[in-house]
Amino acid sequence: MSAALAAPAPAAAIDPSTKTTPARGARRMTRTAWGFLGPFAVFYVLFLIWPVIYMFISSLFNTTLVHQGLGSFAALANYREMLGKNEFWVSMWNTIYFTLLTVPPLVFIAFVLAVLANRVQRGQWFFRLAFFLPFILPSAAIALIWNYIFTPATGLWPTIQGWFGDTNPQSVLGTPDLAMVGIALTTVWWTIGFNFVLFLAGLQEIPREIYEAAAVDGASAWQQIKSITVPLLGPTTGLVVLLQIIASLKIFDQVYLMTGGGPGISTEVVLQLVTNTAFTDYRVGAASAASVLLFIVILLVTLVREIIERASAKSKREN
Amino acid sequence: MSSPTSHRASPRFGRRALLSGALGAAAITTLNACGSPLSAGLVGGQLAPGTVQYWNLFGGGDGVRMITMEDVYRKNHGGPSSLEAATFTWGNPYYTKLSLATLAGSPPDVAVAHLTRATNLARGGLLSEITDADLALVGLSQSDFSAKPFEKAKTDGKLYALPLDTHPFVLYYNTDVCQKAGLLDSDGLLKPIQGAAEFEAALTAAKKVTGAYGLSVSTIADQATCWRWFTTLYHQQNGATEFFGNNGRELTYNQDIAIKTLEYMQSLTIKKELVPTTNDYAGAGTMLFTGKVGFYLEGEWEITTAQSVKDFKFGMTTIPQIFDQPATQGDSHSFVLPKVKHTPEQRKLAMGFVKSMLDQSLTWAKGGHIPSYKPVLDSQEYRDLTPQKYYAGVVDYVTYDSPAWYSGSGSTFENIIGAQIGLVEQGIATPQQGLDAAVAQFKTYVNTADPLA
Amino acid sequence: MSATTNSSSGRGGVGISATAPPPRRVTTTIRSSNRIFDGVSWVVLVVAAIAWLLPSLWALKTSFTSNGTSAVGAQAILNDWALTFDSYLTLIKGGDLWNWYLASAVTGVLTVVISMFVCSLAAFALSRMNFRGKKWAMGAILVGIMIPSQVLIVPLFAELNQMGMLGTYWAVILPQVPQVIAVFVFKRFFDGLPRDYEEAALIDGASWWRIYTSVILPMARPVIAAMSIVTFVWVWNNLLLPLFVLSNPKLMTIPVGLATVQGSFGQRVSDIQASSILGALPLVVLFLIFQRQVIEGVAGSGIKG
Repeated sequence: MSAALAAPAPAAAIDPSTKTTPARGARRMTRTAWGFLGPFAVFYVLFLIWPVIYMFISSLFNTTLVHQGLGSFAALANYREMLGKNEFWVSMWNTIYFTLLTVPPLVFIAFVLAVLANRVQRGQWFFRLAFFLPFILPSAAIALIWNYIFTPATGLWPTIQGWFGDTNPQSVLGTPDLAMVGIALTTVWWTIGFNFVLFLAGLQEIPREIYEAAAVDGASAWQQIKSITVPLLGPTTGLVVLLQIIASLKIFDQVYLMTGGGPGISTEVVLQLVTNTAFTDYRVGAASAASVLLFIVILLVTLVREIIERASAKSKREN
Repeated sequence: MSSPTSHRASPRFGRRALLSGALGAAAITTLNACGSPLSAGLVGGQLAPGTVQYWNLFGGGDGVRMITMEDVYRKNHGGPSSLEAATFTWGNPYYTKLSLATLAGSPPDVAVAHLTRATNLARGGLLSEITDADLALVGLSQSDFSAKPFEKAKTDGKLYALPLDTHPFVLYYNTDVCQKAGLLDSDGLLKPIQGAAEFEAALTAAKKVTGAYGLSVSTIADQATCWRWFTTLYHQQNGATEFFGNNGRELTYNQDIAIKTLEYMQSLTIKKELVPTTNDYAGAGTMLFTGKVGFYLEGEWEITTAQSVKDFKFGMTTIPQIFDQPATQGDSHSFVLPKVKHTPEQRKLAMGFVKSMLDQSLTWAKGGHIPSYKPVLDSQEYRDLTPQKYYAGVVDYVTYDSPAWYSGSGSTFENIIGAQIGLVEQGIATPQQGLDAAVAQFKTYVNTADPLA
Repeated sequence: MSATTNSSSGRGGVGISATAPPPRRVTTTIRSSNRIFDGVSWVVLVVAAIAWLLPSLWALKTSFTSNGTSAVGAQAILNDWALTFDSYLTLIKGGDLWNWYLASAVTGVLTVVISMFVCSLAAFALSRMNFRGKKWAMGAILVGIMIPSQVLIVPLFAELNQMGMLGTYWAVILPQVPQVIAVFVFKRFFDGLPRDYEEAALIDGASWWRIYTSVILPMARPVIAAMSIVTFVWVWNNLLLPLFVLSNPKLMTIPVGLATVQGSFGQRVSDIQASSILGALPLVVLFLIFQRQVIEGVAGSGIKG
């Protein structure tokens, strides 16, 4: 059937895929290709590219939600407002603080759990289920669950604190210094499964023979992990860290649902400032300026990720 | 030549099953064609045309009371399907939702709005005007409403809201504690308090009896209450100016009076220890109910909570004139008709619902609110309502928030300044620090173009 | 990629250990320390797994307790093991839960159907065809992966407003159709498919469309299944977009409905927990059935959220 054509035909006088001369064939191919790409391209431009462009444009105007058109020209006033606004910097810091609180545990704990789960081999389906199940749940569901656990005085969390002797514990979500920690804890519970699965997949790519060879050489389990697992998982870990950072910068759901940015603005994150400005204050132009600033930050981190991924792929090829 | 024998679909491959299952379910629901969310969601059809859709932000005791009133409407108008009500979180979340729904073209037929927020909604073009013809549809007229809230319901001379009530900040007192403190008269009512000295004397006497504090007011995670207490005291002083001028484009507050007010509030909590520094909304009320304080400051709507506490005797009255003139913070709930294409029948249905609610103002008043609907306000039943009758007269000197696009009940303005006032009351910030922090944040709003203009 | 630090370079390597003599250097100390290590690993894993299951179980327990008891507090719930279905009955009989299910199902299914179709078409063209502008298209895909769509919520809303799509399901469906990561995953998969069949078909005069539908798609079922389910979960769980474009309770998707429930249910703690259980239930069922695909899809795409 296909054996006769095992080798791909290189550029011949008649291109089999177009059955005509190269020139006309190329044109037809281009038409067909764009026919295939067309639907996606339409959605892509409409809902990914155009919003980016509109975001940049409206950030220079006093666009509002309740009036048509772009509004009066504001030049850089919106940017000046955002960069000069205490609330903006606080929300930036809150976002970064959230990232700092969640990325290390999410990476470290997932790593440890994955390594252990990979080692014990049996019962992996149970552990995978336990750790990954929360990840499937909608943010609204987990927020309701954890809001409830953190209910001041009567929730499960303060009740357990009471068992350990703290009879009048502070309300986690009601105390400015603790609120973000509570949200971070919820987030770690929620998303650890994702990293766990990624690490497990990476671990399963390491051939068992390497471990066995090391075992033959007298390496204990702990030493094997230290010298084999950790270095080999380096690239995966790097990827997970960067993914986590990017996801944390875009945080919105849990904060909106659990504290609404409070107490005060102690947990308000940038995306919430953006949506408050746009949808409560009706000020699309100003919100776009804040969005652009956040966009730039995320883009920078993403670029770093891309560069690292390229570099590691290149080094993989060279090895 | 042939296409390869394809992968047999794996037994666990359920994409098609999933698809057909879900589409089947959707198809079945489509049998309820018009008015169903499916037709509305997919082709923008109208949602439930024969039903009145009503949104409000009433939780707690008010929420339960409102549901009772809604049920009366349902009973009189053809059953449960005549009305669909939804409640959202009080404050900005509610108003944001209402605005976005109106922009999307699928708002409720009737919505509740504070008068201080209704103005902004109207200026943003999100409300439809309530004309005399609309009022006549259900037999209402201008003279049926109290003058002050009715005037406030107008924007640029046009009527956009129908006031339901005025809900002021009031003083609650624990009868037992005050009796023991010698603060009650022979009828068991609080003796009138005039001036700061008498006020603090009363608090001190109560403190002696309770052994804890004299008065409780919420200071934590409750920007609204902090603002209400502040603005009440602020406006009681001679020379107190509006916080904003020119629709929020200027800051016109009186710096000295504002500082003086904050200093006074802080002196009550920190220096004289008559008021606890840390209390959240529920905690402040509980202190009164359990006799740990003699007095409690909050809106009149907490009467429902107070009445539900077993064997608890309490009274309510207007906030004493502590400084130069009487003043009390308040706002009014009103009904608005979001802008949407309405047939005359739908308009009539919507107005009919509003009328039904107004007719039940007495039920609503039992929840502490002062009705704006004159036929109920002037009725003997309302005049006899106790303890409401002791503060009903406050309507004449209630102060509403200064108009600005970022002002009003539950607004960003209240959130910003309320947070700072709370910190001052807790002793975490000095009056000057608190005020400066708030003003710094206001400056950005003052300097930004009015999005509603 | 040698990483062993303490093995002599002559040893080790694939296959050798299978026939090596019994390990002489693995002393009893190491074997027992390994056993301790394994034992500790088990304990750690089990404790962690239980800790991870606890919050969901707690919500479940609360949902089966009466509202009155739950309002009192956690201790009261722990003391009360009577099961009531009241919360579930309340939710199932009244309220907007079914409308939310409907919205989530419709938007989820339609988004997946349209998206998988559109994305696989694009991936196929990028994988198999050489055409003018291909470099641009590939570049656009790479750029697209970097665009964080949540940050675009404000201009997206303004755009949907101008298109008149606000307040319809399409406002949720259409913006989620261009899943760049799906194109990426599909392309990677297509690149790995053997080209024999389609070249035979081409010689026989089949159009690209026929090749796509009869040759490629059948072979791509596993990856399409995996991406479909992952996309469905993603769409179902999306809060940010539907929160602002679907404001009417009758049109809300599950997450948005759950978000508003907090405000409107007040002290009905059991009802709130029951609603979160019910809201998550379809996905949990989906996950339990399609575990493999979900995890494959998640691991393969590597970027979600």
